[in-house]
Amino acid sequence: MKTIKWIILLSVAALAVAYAYVNAGLYPIGADVPHNKATYWLLETLRERSIARAAAEIDVPDLNDSQLLLSGGPDYNDMCAQCHLKPGRTQSDMSIGLYPSPPNLSLPLDNKTNSARRQFWIIKHGIKASGMPAWGPTHDDQRIWAMVAFIQKLPSLTPEQYQILTTRGEGESTHH
Amino acid sequence: MKTFLLNSALILSSALMVAPSFAHDPAEHAKTAEAPDCDAMKKMDHSKMDMNDPVMQALMKKCSAKSAVSDPHKGMEGMDHEKMEGMNHGDMEGMDKSKSTSSESHEGHSAH
Repeated sequence: MKTIKWIILLSVAALAVAYAYVNAGLYPIGADVPHNKATYWLLETLRERSIARAAAEIDVPDLNDSQLLLSGGPDYNDMCAQCHLKPGRTQSDMSIGLYPSPPNLSLPLDNKTNSARRQFWIIKHGIKASGMPAWGPTHDDQRIWAMVAFIQKLPSLTPEQYQILTTRGEGESTHH
Repeated sequence: MKTFLLNSALILSSALMVAPSFAHDPAEHAKTAEAPDCDAMKKMDHSKMDMNDPVMQALMKKCSAKSAVSDPHKGMEGMDHEKMEGMNHGDMEGMDKSKSTSSESHEGHSAH
Protein backbone atom coordinates (compact mmCIF):
# COMPACT_ATOMS: atom_id res chain seq x y z
CA MET A 1 0.00 0.00 0.00
CA LYS A 2 2.87 2.31 0.86
CA THR A 3 4.46 1.63 -2.55
CA ILE A 4 1.28 2.54 -4.40
CA LYS A 5 1.07 5.80 -2.46
CA TRP A 6 4.64 6.66 -3.50
CA ILE A 7 3.96 5.82 -7.16
CA ILE A 8 0.90 8.06 -7.20
CA LEU A 9 2.77 10.83 -5.41
CA LEU A 10 5.72 10.68 -7.83
CA SER A 11 3.39 10.58 -10.88
CA VAL A 12 1.53 13.65 -9.68
CA ALA A 13 4.84 15.41 -8.99
CA ALA A 14 6.16 14.51 -12.48
CA LEU A 15 2.99 15.83 -14.12
CA ALA A 16 3.24 19.03 -12.06
CA VAL A 17 6.86 19.55 -13.11
CA ALA A 18 5.99 18.90 -16.78
CA TYR A 19 3.04 21.31 -16.57
CA ALA A 20 5.23 23.97 -14.94
CA TYR A 21 7.94 23.47 -17.61
CA VAL A 22 5.46 23.89 -20.46
CA ASN A 23 3.84 26.93 -18.86
CA ALA A 24 7.16 28.58 -18.09
CA GLY A 25 7.92 28.75 -21.84
CA LEU A 26 11.31 27.16 -21.37
CA TYR A 27 11.09 24.81 -24.35
CA PRO A 28 12.93 26.28 -27.38
CA ILE A 29 10.16 26.37 -29.99
CA GLY A 30 12.17 28.17 -32.71
CA ALA A 31 12.61 26.20 -35.95
CA ASP A 32 16.35 26.91 -35.86
CA VAL A 33 16.84 24.82 -32.69
CA PRO A 34 16.34 21.06 -33.26
CA HIS A 35 14.13 19.01 -30.93
CA ASN A 36 15.86 16.90 -28.33
CA LYS A 37 15.92 13.19 -29.19
CA ALA A 38 12.99 12.25 -26.95
CA THR A 39 10.70 14.97 -28.37
CA TYR A 40 11.77 14.17 -31.92
CA TRP A 41 11.05 10.47 -31.44
CA LEU A 42 7.69 11.22 -29.83
CA LEU A 43 6.54 13.58 -32.60
CA GLU A 44 7.87 11.43 -35.43
CA THR A 45 6.26 8.28 -34.04
CA LEU A 46 3.00 10.13 -33.49
CA ARG A 47 3.08 11.44 -37.08
CA GLU A 48 4.04 8.19 -38.77
CA ARG A 49 1.61 5.99 -36.83
CA SER A 50 -1.22 8.44 -37.39
CA ILE A 51 -0.60 8.67 -41.16
CA ALA A 52 -0.18 4.90 -41.53
CA ARG A 53 -3.48 4.24 -39.78
CA ALA A 54 -5.40 6.97 -41.61
CA ALA A 55 -4.03 6.09 -45.08
CA ALA A 56 -4.30 2.32 -44.80
CA GLU A 57 -7.72 2.07 -46.46
CA ILE A 58 -7.07 4.42 -49.38
CA ASP A 59 -7.50 2.80 -52.81
CA VAL A 60 -4.73 3.80 -55.20
CA PRO A 61 -5.83 4.34 -58.84
CA ASP A 62 -3.63 3.54 -61.85
CA LEU A 63 -1.00 6.27 -61.78
CA ASN A 64 0.85 5.23 -64.96
CA ASP A 65 -1.00 7.76 -67.07
CA SER A 66 0.76 10.49 -69.02
CA GLN A 67 -2.23 12.81 -68.64
CA LEU A 68 -1.89 12.64 -64.84
CA LEU A 69 1.75 13.69 -65.18
CA LEU A 70 0.77 16.64 -67.36
CA SER A 71 -1.81 17.73 -64.78
CA GLY A 72 0.29 17.01 -61.70
CA GLY A 73 3.57 18.48 -62.94
CA PRO A 74 2.53 22.15 -63.04
CA ASP A 75 0.73 21.81 -59.70
CA TYR A 76 3.83 20.28 -58.11
CA ASN A 77 5.95 23.12 -59.46
CA ASP A 78 3.53 25.77 -58.14
CA MET A 79 2.72 24.23 -54.78
CA CYS A 80 5.50 21.84 -53.71
CA ALA A 81 8.84 22.53 -55.41
CA GLN A 82 9.77 25.46 -53.15
CA CYS A 83 10.06 23.10 -50.17
CA HIS A 84 10.38 19.63 -51.72
CA LEU A 85 12.77 20.75 -54.47
CA LYS A 86 13.18 19.58 -58.06
CA PRO A 87 15.79 17.83 -60.22
CA GLY A 88 19.06 19.73 -60.19
CA ARG A 89 18.24 21.67 -57.03
CA THR A 90 19.51 20.44 -53.68
CA GLN A 91 18.21 23.17 -51.39
CA SER A 92 16.10 26.31 -51.18
CA ASP A 93 15.40 28.96 -48.56
CA MET A 94 12.30 26.99 -47.56
CA SER A 95 14.01 23.60 -47.39
CA ILE A 96 16.77 25.08 -45.24
CA GLY A 97 14.49 27.08 -42.98
CA LEU A 98 11.72 24.58 -42.28
CA TYR A 99 11.98 22.21 -39.32
CA PRO A 100 11.59 19.32 -39.62
CA SER A 101 13.29 19.60 -42.99
CA PRO A 102 10.88 18.66 -45.82
CA PRO A 103 11.97 15.56 -47.76
CA ASN A 104 13.67 16.16 -51.11
CA LEU A 105 11.17 14.42 -53.39
CA SER A 106 13.45 14.64 -56.43
CA LEU A 107 15.71 12.01 -54.86
CA PRO A 108 14.88 8.28 -54.71
CA LEU A 109 12.83 7.64 -51.57
CA ASP A 110 12.48 4.60 -49.36
CA ASN A 111 9.40 2.43 -49.87
CA LYS A 112 7.53 3.90 -46.92
CA THR A 113 8.06 7.55 -47.92
CA ASN A 114 7.35 6.72 -51.56
CA SER A 115 4.00 5.05 -50.81
CA ALA A 116 1.36 6.59 -53.09
CA ARG A 117 -1.45 6.33 -50.52
CA ARG A 118 0.75 7.98 -47.87
CA GLN A 119 1.64 10.83 -50.25
CA PHE A 120 -2.02 11.26 -51.20
CA TRP A 121 -3.11 11.46 -47.56
CA ILE A 122 -0.38 13.97 -46.64
CA ILE A 123 -1.13 16.23 -49.62
CA LYS A 124 -4.85 16.14 -48.90
CA HIS A 125 -4.77 16.58 -45.12
CA GLY A 126 -1.41 18.22 -44.41
CA ILE A 127 0.56 17.73 -41.18
CA LYS A 128 0.08 19.85 -38.11
CA ALA A 129 2.93 22.14 -37.02
CA SER A 130 5.24 21.00 -39.82
CA GLY A 131 4.66 23.62 -42.53
CA MET A 132 2.82 21.04 -44.68
CA PRO A 133 -0.57 22.53 -45.63
CA ALA A 134 -3.77 20.57 -46.32
CA TRP A 135 -4.55 20.94 -50.03
CA GLY A 136 -7.79 18.96 -49.74
CA PRO A 137 -10.06 21.94 -49.01
CA THR A 138 -9.11 23.61 -52.30
CA HIS A 139 -8.12 20.68 -54.57
CA ASP A 140 -10.23 17.67 -55.48
CA ASP A 141 -9.02 14.07 -55.19
CA GLN A 142 -8.31 13.71 -58.93
CA ARG A 143 -6.00 16.69 -58.88
CA ILE A 144 -4.21 15.39 -55.79
CA TRP A 145 -3.75 11.94 -57.38
CA ALA A 146 -2.22 13.69 -60.41
CA MET A 147 0.34 15.28 -58.08
CA VAL A 148 1.05 11.88 -56.52
CA ALA A 149 1.55 10.37 -60.00
CA PHE A 150 4.04 13.13 -60.79
CA ILE A 151 5.88 12.72 -57.48
CA GLN A 152 6.20 8.99 -58.12
CA LYS A 153 8.10 9.75 -61.36
CA LEU A 154 9.97 12.80 -60.08
CA PRO A 155 13.21 11.04 -59.01
CA SER A 156 13.65 9.67 -62.54
CA LEU A 157 13.29 13.07 -64.27
CA THR A 158 16.16 15.15 -65.59
CA PRO A 159 16.03 18.94 -65.08
CA GLU A 160 15.11 19.31 -68.78
CA GLN A 161 12.24 16.82 -68.57
CA TYR A 162 11.05 18.50 -65.37
CA GLN A 163 11.00 21.89 -67.08
CA ILE A 164 8.89 20.58 -69.96
CA LEU A 165 6.41 18.67 -67.80
CA THR A 166 5.84 21.46 -65.29
CA THR A 167 5.12 24.36 -67.62
CA ARG A 168 1.55 25.51 -67.87
CA GLY A 169 1.41 26.72 -71.44
CA GLU A 170 -1.41 28.62 -73.09
CA GLY A 171 -3.69 26.68 -75.39
CA GLU A 172 -3.12 23.55 -73.38
CA SER A 173 -5.89 21.63 -71.69
CA THR A 174 -5.50 21.51 -67.92
CA HIS A 175 -8.14 18.80 -67.47
CA HIS A 176 -9.34 20.13 -64.12
CA MET B 1 -31.45 39.36 -32.49
CA LYS B 2 -33.34 38.63 -35.72
CA THR B 3 -31.09 41.06 -37.60
CA PHE B 4 -28.03 39.36 -36.15
CA LEU B 5 -29.25 35.92 -37.26
CA LEU B 6 -30.15 37.23 -40.71
CA ASN B 7 -26.74 38.88 -41.12
CA SER B 8 -24.98 35.72 -39.95
CA ALA B 9 -26.91 33.58 -42.44
CA LEU B 10 -26.12 36.02 -45.26
CA ILE B 11 -22.40 36.10 -44.43
CA LEU B 12 -22.23 32.32 -44.16
CA SER B 13 -24.05 31.72 -47.45
CA SER B 14 -21.88 34.33 -49.21
CA ALA B 15 -18.75 32.67 -47.88
CA LEU B 16 -19.91 29.26 -49.11
CA MET B 17 -20.74 30.66 -52.55
CA VAL B 18 -17.32 32.21 -53.11
CA ALA B 19 -15.35 29.39 -51.46
CA PRO B 20 -14.59 27.47 -54.71
CA SER B 21 -12.97 30.57 -56.18
CA PHE B 22 -10.26 30.34 -53.53
CA ALA B 23 -8.98 27.14 -55.12
CA HIS B 24 -5.66 27.33 -56.89
CA ASP B 25 -6.78 27.88 -60.48
CA PRO B 26 -4.31 26.63 -63.15
CA ALA B 27 -5.59 29.26 -65.60
CA GLU B 28 -4.18 32.01 -63.36
CA HIS B 29 -0.69 30.64 -63.88
CA ALA B 30 -1.03 29.94 -67.60
CA LYS B 31 -0.80 33.63 -68.49
CA THR B 32 2.59 34.08 -66.83
CA ALA B 33 3.97 30.56 -67.25
CA GLU B 34 7.23 29.98 -69.10
CA ALA B 35 7.12 27.92 -72.28
CA PRO B 36 8.31 24.30 -72.31
CA ASP B 37 11.85 24.05 -73.62
CA CYS B 38 11.16 21.37 -76.24
CA ASP B 39 14.50 21.99 -77.95
CA ALA B 40 16.03 20.17 -74.97
CA MET B 41 14.21 17.02 -76.13
CA LYS B 42 16.41 16.90 -79.21
CA LYS B 43 19.54 16.76 -77.05
CA MET B 44 18.27 13.80 -75.03
CA ASP B 45 19.63 10.30 -75.56
CA HIS B 46 16.81 8.80 -77.62
CA SER B 47 18.29 5.32 -77.49
CA LYS B 48 17.24 5.22 -73.84
CA MET B 49 13.71 6.45 -74.48
CA ASP B 50 10.86 4.00 -74.05
CA MET B 51 7.65 5.17 -75.67
CA ASN B 52 5.65 2.94 -73.33
CA ASP B 53 6.90 5.04 -70.42
CA PRO B 54 4.23 7.56 -69.29
CA VAL B 55 6.97 10.17 -68.80
CA MET B 56 8.00 9.94 -72.44
CA GLN B 57 4.39 9.98 -73.57
CA ALA B 58 3.75 13.09 -71.47
CA LEU B 59 6.84 14.82 -72.90
CA MET B 60 5.73 14.04 -76.44
CA LYS B 61 2.19 15.28 -75.77
CA LYS B 62 3.48 18.47 -74.19
CA CYS B 63 5.85 19.28 -77.04
CA SER B 64 3.32 18.28 -79.69
CA ALA B 65 0.77 20.60 -78.08
CA LYS B 66 3.34 23.38 -77.87
CA SER B 67 4.40 23.09 -81.50
CA ALA B 68 0.76 22.98 -82.62
CA VAL B 69 0.06 26.23 -80.76
CA SER B 70 3.24 28.15 -81.50
CA ASP B 71 4.19 26.87 -84.95
CA PRO B 72 2.11 24.21 -86.69
CA HIS B 73 4.98 23.45 -89.10
CA LYS B 74 7.57 22.90 -86.38
CA GLY B 75 7.47 19.81 -84.23
CA MET B 76 9.64 16.86 -83.33
CA GLU B 77 11.16 16.47 -86.79
CA GLY B 78 14.65 17.02 -85.38
CA MET B 79 14.46 13.79 -83.41
CA ASP B 80 15.73 10.43 -84.48
CA HIS B 81 12.64 8.31 -83.90
CA GLU B 82 14.44 5.19 -85.13
CA LYS B 83 16.15 5.05 -81.76
CA MET B 84 12.99 5.19 -79.68
CA GLU B 85 11.80 1.97 -78.12
CA GLY B 86 8.17 0.98 -78.48
CA MET B 87 7.58 3.15 -81.55
CA ASN B 88 5.53 1.40 -84.25
CA HIS B 89 7.11 2.74 -87.41
CA GLY B 90 4.86 0.57 -89.57
CA ASP B 91 1.97 2.85 -88.69
CA MET B 92 3.86 5.89 -89.92
CA GLU B 93 5.07 4.69 -93.31
CA GLY B 94 1.88 5.44 -95.19
CA MET B 95 1.49 8.82 -93.62
CA ASP B 96 1.29 11.75 -96.04
CA LYS B 97 2.83 14.55 -94.00
CA SER B 98 1.77 17.22 -96.45
CA LYS B 99 -1.88 16.42 -95.69
CA SER B 100 -1.59 16.29 -91.92
CA THR B 101 -1.12 19.00 -89.33
CA SER B 102 1.76 18.74 -86.91
CA SER B 103 -0.46 17.76 -83.99
CA GLU B 104 -2.21 15.04 -86.00
CA SER B 105 1.05 13.58 -87.20
CA HIS B 106 2.23 13.24 -83.61
CA GLU B 107 -0.87 11.69 -82.15
CA GLY B 108 0.56 8.30 -82.98
CA HIS B 109 3.46 9.03 -80.65
CA SER B 110 1.29 9.80 -77.67
CA ALA B 111 -0.97 6.85 -78.23
CA HIS B 112 1.82 4.39 -77.50
